[in-house]
Amino acid sequence: MFEKLIEKGLEKSAWLYHLNTGSCNGCDIELVSVITPRYDAERFGFKIAGSPRHADIIVVSGPITSQSRDRLIRTLAQVPDPKVVVSLGSCPRSCNVFNGSYCVEGPLDKYTPIDVSIAGCPPKPEAIMAGLVRAVEILKEKRRAMK
Amino acid sequence: MELLKTILYILLYPGLIYCVIGGLILSGIDRKLLARMQKRIGPPILQPFYDFFKLLGKETIVPRNAAKKAFLAAPVIGLISLITVSLFIPVFKFSPFSTYADLIVVIYLLTIPAVALIVGGSASGSPYAGVGISREMVAIISYELPMVVSLLAIAKKVGLALNNGVMTFSLAQIVEYQAQNGPLFTKISIIPAFIAMLLVIPCKVGSLPFDIAEAEIEICEGPLVEYSGAPLAIFKLNHAIKMLVMTSLFVTLFLSGAGTGILVVDALIQFILIIIVMFFSITLLKAITARLRVEQTLKFYWTYPTALAFLSLILVYFGL
Ligand code: SF4
Repeated sequence: MFEKLIEKGLEKSAWLYHLNTGSCNGCDIELVSVITPRYDAERFGFKIAGSPRHADIIVVSGPITSQSRDRLIRTLAQVPDPKVVVSLGSCPRSCNVFNGSYCVEGPLDKYTPIDVSIAGCPPKPEAIMAGLVRAVEILKEKRRAMK
Repeated sequence: MELLKTILYILLYPGLIYCVIGGLILSGIDRKLLARMQKRIGPPILQPFYDFFKLLGKETIVPRNAAKKAFLAAPVIGLISLITVSLFIPVFKFSPFSTYADLIVVIYLLTIPAVALIVGGSASGSPYAGVGISREMVAIISYELPMVVSLLAIAKKVGLALNNGVMTFSLAQIVEYQAQNGPLFTKISIIPAFIAMLLVIPCKVGSLPFDIAEAEIEICEGPLVEYSGAPLAIFKLNHAIKMLVMTSLFVTLFLSGAGTGILVVDALIQFILIIIVMFFSITLLKAITARLRVEQTLKFYWTYPTALAFLSLILVYFGL
């Protein structure tokens, strides 16, 4: 029964940690719009956590710049299992318009496996919500695999 | 039989189970009301339960440079002291343990959760926690003064009537006084203390305008920054129970009375009053204000609530 409760909890309360690795701020603002009254992600239990130690879902936006690369790796290592990595926007997948710049060391999948990627530049809030809901399913699968 | 009853009290009604379930439901109601005030749909009322169980299922990481024992023991100490406080607070006339402890013990025990937060934060060895600890200390210094002075006003008021003019700190006598003379907040001399206590509650439980110690946006939840998994779950539980215990104490101090004599009905009335008090002192303030700075909090508490509390004390001495 206890297992069931934990699983239900995981399904209903996933906390996000938003990691900006040099994004243009477009994606960041769209992510924030998901917790506004209009989209209200809190009704599904999503909450933006202040510390990576509290997070279940890490949302990465931006092409990985050389300044942020070490921080990315360290932050990802600090998140307790089970965790899900979501790439937000086109930047973490392909470096988008920043590709080829001397200070860009993306894409994200060089450093960590990506579980969900949300496309768009920036993605629509609806798309972000759909991606987060998918991320919760993967979170549950990971928890089952952990046992 | 007597022993069985005591165990039942400790585990069931004013003790563990009531605290956990009541506290989590209360904080769920708080979040729902807040969401409705911001025109959101909001999380389900059971959301704190989901959060709690999810955190239990997560990995617990102890940072390498943390003091492991203190780091893991701090949340449990806070939880135990909060449940102990709950045992001593009478629900109308029902007070199984109030002969063992008075208001002074309650004040001390209520400080322990804050101290546990400080101990846990300093054991985690993170600079963010360091900032959080110093802010938590400022918060304690700021709310303690108006709180103690308004409690003195109540003690004197009740003492004048029931204890030959000597201050009484017995919670049972405070309830007895209210059973005879009506709730304390209807007395003119106590109204300023009533408002002062109403303002103390949000800082005590660390909710929005005064949550300087756990500001998520500035210092990543301060002392909690390194916590994960089960200890974090217990800290979140502490937070919820602190809300329950503080509002419950408030109801007992100001809005109590003879009650109906039937425990279930009394408990229900108490809980409804708790929700109303929580709405005005925590949820409403949270919805309409933004976070104050550290020194603004100190300045606020040492001016208006302290002045109100002293005014109340003076009025009591004049016999109003
Ligand atoms: S995907 Fe587009 S909007 Fe998002 S960070 Fe990259 S450039 Fe900015």
